[in-house]
Amino acid sequence: ENISDFSLNITDCTQVVVPEEVFFTVAAAGILENLLILVAVVRNKNLHLPMYFFICSLAISDMLGSLYKTLENIFIILCKMGYLTRHGDFEKKLDDAMDSMFILSLLGSIFSLLAIAADRYITIFYALRYHNIMTLRRALVILAIIWAFCAGSSIAIALFSYEAATVIPFTILFPLMMFFILCLYVHMFLLARSHAKKIASLPSSTVHHRTNMKGAITLTIFLGVFLCCWAPFVLHILLARFCPHNPYCACYMSIFHVNGTLIMCNAIINPMIFAFRSPELRSTFKKMFYCPR
Amino acid sequence: MSALRLISNRTSQQALSNSDYTWDYEYYEYGPVSFEGLKAHKYSIVIGFWVGLAVFVIFMFFVLTLLTKTGAPHQDNAELSEKRFHMNSFVAEFGRPLESQRVFSHQMAEESQSLFHFCINEVDHMNKEKESQKGPNLESNTHFQEVPKSSGMFEEDLHCLTKFNIPNFVNTEQNSSLGEDDLLISEPPIIL
Repeated sequence: ENISDFSLNITDCTQVVVPEEVFFTVAAAGILENLLILVAVVRNKNLHLPMYFFICSLAISDMLGSLYKTLENIFIILCKMGYLTRHGDFEKKLDDAMDSMFILSLLGSIFSLLAIAADRYITIFYALRYHNIMTLRRALVILAIIWAFCAGSSIAIALFSYEAATVIPFTILFPLMMFFILCLYVHMFLLARSHAKKIASLPSSTVHHRTNMKGAITLTIFLGVFLCCWAPFVLHILLARFCPHNPYCACYMSIFHVNGTLIMCNAIINPMIFAFRSPELRSTFKKMFYCPR
Repeated sequence: MSALRLISNRTSQQALSNSDYTWDYEYYEYGPVSFEGLKAHKYSIVIGFWVGLAVFVIFMFFVLTLLTKTGAPHQDNAELSEKRFHMNSFVAEFGRPLESQRVFSHQMAEESQSLFHFCINEVDHMNKEKESQKGPNLESNTHFQEVPKSSGMFEEDLHCLTKFNIPNFVNTEQNSSLGEDDLLISEPPIIL
């Protein structure tokens, strides 16, 4: 609508609107799912392990992202109904707080994924020393450091968003982290492959290629989902900073709502990739639902 | 993030047509964007981005599956014989010769430390007495027959570790590692 007001040509890129019902459904599903994981980990003593704490951290950051979208939509509806004006100081501060919540969620997501990958890496390559390297206390300290850093950065970015300099480190961090996580997982994958070959050479073994195929599929799904959900938004930030007046960039930026919905979909898919693969967590869910107190 | 604020402004604007923005965006506004004389399709960045992303993901998938299908040339002979020795100790009771491990690449063998190797090396460092006791354990372990059917490589490594009877390691390790082994394998492991 904005662009159509200003553009000189009829054939412009109007904002692609995602219906609010879809927004709310996706956001609510994300929040509920991640909340479920948190509850399950808290209730089951067997899940008080570093690995599950990192998964919880991911669940919290996904929840924050969905919460941001929900709050924003509620904010807009309140504006529609006239309960809130958009001129006041309070609204501006609220908007600042919500922006920093979103950036916090994004940074928290990236760092949680990194922590999960590092934890798995240590489990595989330093298996016998794992319990000395990754104690519960160290895991909590690592999480505290990560979240303190993310909170500080998000507040700084929200306050100084007018500077061009804030966008650049942000957009460099994203591919850097992706690449690092990819390296960790590929290394683990190579080790798994060599083990599979060893097992395959045993006389009574029957499976090999199928297992590694599954590994390839899993790894591709994980990285593909992460890329597809976050990269569009990061590209949007870049384009908005560097070429807002270019018609091509403006057309890309018109699908911003779709990109936002993708991020919320990531909040729904992440638990399926990480948390629900653990048999212990699944049995905790079953206990929670089939034997309610 | 100015983009976020601007976008939230725009969504607000969709609600009310007579909008009056007071948030200061003087430096950044969607001024008149002219769509005259575009050489390429106006959604070209969108299309190009998604196509590029899809190509990258598919390429990554093919690289990974190629890694699984093709073995690489050969392994270092010294390492090969050493590994064969350890493998033989596992398969002694089966009475069948071990096939040669030419599928391993030299690079792979160096980079990806075999956990079997690791088990044995670590135990060397930790406790030599225990290792000598484990020797007969490894060879006479009939349960190992079940292990390959579980189709999980991490499960085998865990079984290898359980044989060493490292104190306070087995029980907790079962919980933590078996859960996250599902990174690559989604079948439940066989617990000995």
